[in-house]
Amino acid sequence: MSVTMRALLKSPWVFHLSTGSCNNCDIEVLDCLTPRYDIERFGMRLAASIRHADVLLVTGSCNRKSMIRVKRIYEEQVPKPCVVVAIGECAMSRGMFIHSYNCPQPLDRIIPVNVYIPGCPPKPEAIIAGVVKLINKVKASL
Amino acid sequence: MTREEVLSEIQSRFGDVILDFFDKSAKRVYIELQPRALVPVARHLFAELGARFHIASGMDSRTHLEVLYHFSVEALNLLVSLRVKLDKNDPRVDSLASTIKAAAWIEREMHELLGIQFSGNQDLRRLLLSEEWPAGVYPLRRDYREWDPGAVRDRGV
Repeated sequence: MSVTMRALLKSPWVFHLSTGSCNNCDIEVLDCLTPRYDIERFGMRLAASIRHADVLLVTGSCNRKSMIRVKRIYEEQVPKPCVVVAIGECAMSRGMFIHSYNCPQPLDRIIPVNVYIPGCPPKPEAIIAGVVKLINKVKASL
Repeated sequence: MTREEVLSEIQSRFGDVILDFFDKSAKRVYIELQPRALVPVARHLFAELGARFHIASGMDSRTHLEVLYHFSVEALNLLVSLRVKLDKNDPRVDSLASTIKAAAWIEREMHELLGIQFSGNQDLRRLLLSEEWPAGVYPLRRDYREWDPGAVRDRGV
């Protein structure tokens, strides 16, 4: 394992990207940062800027306006390697907004997604379990 | 003024343009107007009675496009909704933006989502929809059909 990957997996910095969610998943993401769940135990920190992030936590069903921004953020601004976690039903399949005129495509048709965490909203435990699984998956693939 | 005085004054002043006066409850009155009378009645409520303009809501009913303007008279704890029914083939009503500045943006939104023309509103630019949205397609109309061939409408399972 290269030094870069070892450093990345020891302390993945997460960036929280809302693409038009109802804020419920966002609140659960914030719950993960509280002392009760405290994902800093796993070395994860919330990055203030997307340019410092290793993991993108994406919530919400992408709409026509945020689609192009998500694409641009992923392709041009996030340093690579970067893994994408889709949090909640909306980010997976758009949930109840699947027939909305403003949500033509699911997230994984716009950018590649590594982990899906289902739920509406998923519990903080589920989010932590998902990210830990992701870390183990990346470790195993190296 | 009491509730009865306010309502009877509206009815006596604008009786000829009121199509329906629905006194739903102690807190709520719906007044259906001829579209041409919207501005004078709204001005009466807003400027003379000092009612607060909350929001307008547009709706595609089976027969008409309807716009409801919601006002509240706080001293009386009363909500007054002005309803106008517009022809679906030519939905056009006078703009309230020059009388009530706060009505300008909700008119912009109803213009782009329902295709209602507000004569007199100078600024009917697009507000919420994205740039690639085709002109003349109104997503909240009943006859809206998918126009985007790239849209994915299944969950992929």
